[in-house]
Amino acid sequence: MTSISKNNLDTIKACRYCPMCRQSCPSEFISYKESDTPRGRAMLLQSVYIAGKEYDKSTVEAIYNCFVCGSCKSWCSGFEIGAYNIPELIKFARKDIVRKGQTLEVVESIKSSLLESDNPYQIVKSASFSQIIEEKKADVLYFMGSEINFRNPEIARAAIKIFNHLNISYTLLKNEPESGKILDLLGYPDEAIIKAGQIYSRIINSGCKKVVVSDPLAYDAFKNDYPGWGFKFDSKMKILHMSEYLAELVKSGSLELAKTTEKITLADSEFLGRFNAVFEAPREIIKSSAGDNFVEMRWNREKLLSTGEAAFTFNDRLFTQGDKLGEKIRIQAHDIDCTIIITLSATAKNNIGDHADIKAVDIAEFVAELI
Amino acid sequence: MKLEQSSYMFDMVLFELQDIVGKDYVSTKSSDKEVYSVDYFWIPEMWHDRQKGRDLTRPSADFIVHPANATEVSKILKIANNYKIPVTTWGGGSGSQGGALPVFGGIILDTKRMDQIFCIDQNSMTVKVGTGIIMQHLEWELEKQGLSTMHDPASANCATVGGFIAHRGTGVLSTKYGKLEDMIVNMEIVLPNGEIIKSLPVPKTACGPDLNQLFIGSEGTLGIVTKVTLTINKIPEVRRFRAFIFKDLTTGLRVGQRLMTEKLQPSVIRLYSEDETKEVIHKVLGIDKKGAYMVYGFDGRKEMVDLQLKYAREIADEEGGEDLGEDLGQQWWKNRYKFFFPPYMFSLPQCFGTLDTVSTYSNIENIFNAMKNVIGTKYPQARFIGHFSHWFNWGCMLYARFIIETPPEDPHELLFVHNSIWNDALRAAIEAGGVLNEHHGIGLKLSRLVPELYGNSFDILKNLKKSLDPNGIMNPGKLGFGV
Ligand SMILES: Cc1cc2nc3c(=O)[nH]c(=O)nc-3n(C[C@H](O)[C@H](O)[C@H](O)COP(=O)(O)OP(=O)(O)OC[C@H]3O[C@@H](n4cnc5c(N)ncnc54)[C@H](O)[C@@H]3O)c2cc1C
Ligand code: SF4
Ligand code: SF4
Repeated sequence: MTSISKNNLDTIKACRYCPMCRQSCPSEFISYKESDTPRGRAMLLQSVYIAGKEYDKSTVEAIYNCFVCGSCKSWCSGFEIGAYNIPELIKFARKDIVRKGQTLEVVESIKSSLLESDNPYQIVKSASFSQIIEEKKADVLYFMGSEINFRNPEIARAAIKIFNHLNISYTLLKNEPESGKILDLLGYPDEAIIKAGQIYSRIINSGCKKVVVSDPLAYDAFKNDYPGWGFKFDSKMKILHMSEYLAELVKSGSLELAKTTEKITLADSEFLGRFNAVFEAPREIIKSSAGDNFVEMRWNREKLLSTGEAAFTFNDRLFTQGDKLGEKIRIQAHDIDCTIIITLSATAKNNIGDHADIKAVDIAEFVAELI
Repeated sequence: MKLEQSSYMFDMVLFELQDIVGKDYVSTKSSDKEVYSVDYFWIPEMWHDRQKGRDLTRPSADFIVHPANATEVSKILKIANNYKIPVTTWGGGSGSQGGALPVFGGIILDTKRMDQIFCIDQNSMTVKVGTGIIMQHLEWELEKQGLSTMHDPASANCATVGGFIAHRGTGVLSTKYGKLEDMIVNMEIVLPNGEIIKSLPVPKTACGPDLNQLFIGSEGTLGIVTKVTLTINKIPEVRRFRAFIFKDLTTGLRVGQRLMTEKLQPSVIRLYSEDETKEVIHKVLGIDKKGAYMVYGFDGRKEMVDLQLKYAREIADEEGGEDLGEDLGQQWWKNRYKFFFPPYMFSLPQCFGTLDTVSTYSNIENIFNAMKNVIGTKYPQARFIGHFSHWFNWGCMLYARFIIETPPEDPHELLFVHNSIWNDALRAAIEAGGVLNEHHGIGLKLSRLVPELYGNSFDILKNLKKSLDPNGIMNPGKLGFGV
């Protein structure tokens, strides 16, 4: 048995028979199953890490069904004292599962895809957006993340439009590698660290002063994982999410947006918001254009509805039910008569989708439209 | 029929179930079996907790099925009857009595896919829902329109509407708005034989016995409630609280009785025994006072609430209450759910139980003392605390608890201690005019005591069970019906 930290044990002991945050768990919305709740997962892990049972395949599946979204944490009234942390527990468990060689086929195949082509979808490297760009020396390094690089190049194009409009010296990484975050979340820290090392040296070698990141997973990795993996950025090097970067420009007066009359709301991001407390920057940007037409959804900031940023697999298959998560967000936007939902990750944008009455627009696209 | 997973009959039944609900909604996975073998009953939790190095097993389901509507429920029950397979309904699994445990295996029928809100009628002030909806999800939807059922239990986050119907659940505001059972207008029920029936459109008729009453509180032993129409209310203009300390429990109980019988219509009265004031109120609210803590609350139109608070204050002053002010009352309301989250809530390895009962004002304090006495005398290792939280014109509910900090290690021995405390405390309660339970139900935990409570009238219920469920497939082992 691998040794488990006291914090993780405390989480198991608190959560294993506690149903008090299950109403907030997005994986349970999808399957309706008790094993897809925080309580269910903690119970299963109690059997492994306290009772000493071996993992079986269905327990492994339940552990991978978690979206590591932290909703449970946000709804836990005992958190302030107990610091119960299901996402951390799940990350530990996945690493242990991988170490024991008991991971799922689908997880293995995502890993291979990430290692071979820097995206989880087995899309060939040559189809990436960053394949065609010219890498150069610049002040700002724009890091897209694999979702944008392989699925949503329109977001990268919007970012480039903004940089050009403002005459900012920027670059992208040619054949941008995956940040290592997905590998780490899936339980492959060694592989994640190798990726991180490659990116770290390319960022340092680029000579840039700022890294502007669109992908909240990559942002979280740069800020919170890289230092622990031995890749600490110099304090002068700024790591900013695109929303933070644009908010700074708006605040300084360098960026002025045309006024919009559309009613707009914001889908907060779990990795940006919950895990990094970036809540205000996107609001400042949107309000600078929409003013009072910016309206909050019922569940916002810490209590945001999960967008599925770290939902990779479900029941030993690739996760394909993102629309169900998106629908919950759309309903909220509908309740407040909004026609546009601003998103902070490509995954959120894809899961919310474009519909007849509501469309999801990435923050960079929103700004690019209004300059 | 007992099903072995290796037998082709297992696959035959699995095939039929999948044919009804689809492959994704039937599970035979060991992870699901494990998780559905423990609800909020202390015994299976303890059994699960202590499994390390011991040969402890928990009964588990063969199939976990998630039907989408009454028609699918009906088909499942027909299959279960054909093969004589037990069916245990599972809502949120938050029941503390083991009601949802599949103690004889068979099918767990999880209702949570039946979570639709069909209609909100703001004229009749009703809402029609699937019974699998999580209470809090329903409240959030109603709240958008300024409405609420006013059923506000601590388990709103995790329990379903159907679970509350089955266990006669109650919420913090029950003193004014009633228990969930008082909010029921009509229901759709699937009988054990698969027949789908509806109760009459409204409840207060003179058309014979009320069918709703056969199924409310029947804990999935007589049928499965699939839809319900509930009454709703406008969210009140104001809701205000005030907290007091009374010198002792007797005084506090008298204040509560006066608030009710002088018809002040409080929405909340919560009175904590001296011991619980010292232990729980101190821990959660930081109030360090001797005596019995009471919070009461009123809601509605502002001017009316002002008047209600004025008269209530007069009663509290007459009874010598120390006023802690509105803020401490409000603080209690804000933190009302916090009591149930770890680390505030009791948890293993502690041995504990909630001995809730209800009785008249004339008997309730005697019941409290009788329970306290029997536990104090026979189980010196246990603490006994209690509060009084749901009040009626004729009496109130006692939410008593026993806690043993360091119980025996051996799970078998511990089970016997646990059950003996329950038997002794509840027999003392019954003797003093109480009943087995007020809002958590019977389940497996108290099943053995039901015939004692009912005496010779229990035959009526047994005959009813036999005629509705001749094959005994519905939640066997619960509510005193045996197998
Ligand atoms: C932290 C916590 C706090 C609690 N606070 C309260 C409280 O304030 N007030 C309160 O009343 N209770 C409270 N409870 C107890 C519990 O929430 C209730 O007993 C609730 O009614 C159980 O609902 P459930 O959906 O979880 O039902 P389950 O536990 O899944 O099932 C309970 C019983 O109902 C049956 N059943 C479920 N659905 C149906 C259906 N549709 N048709 C027929 N039978 C059905 C099951 O077979 C079982 O016998 C609390 C529990 C917890 C964990
Ligand atoms: S995170 Fe908090 S509320 Fe959720 S299961 Fe754990 S202890 Fe309970
Ligand atoms: S992290 Fe998210 S998906 Fe995982 S248990 Fe918590 S709420 Fe559910």
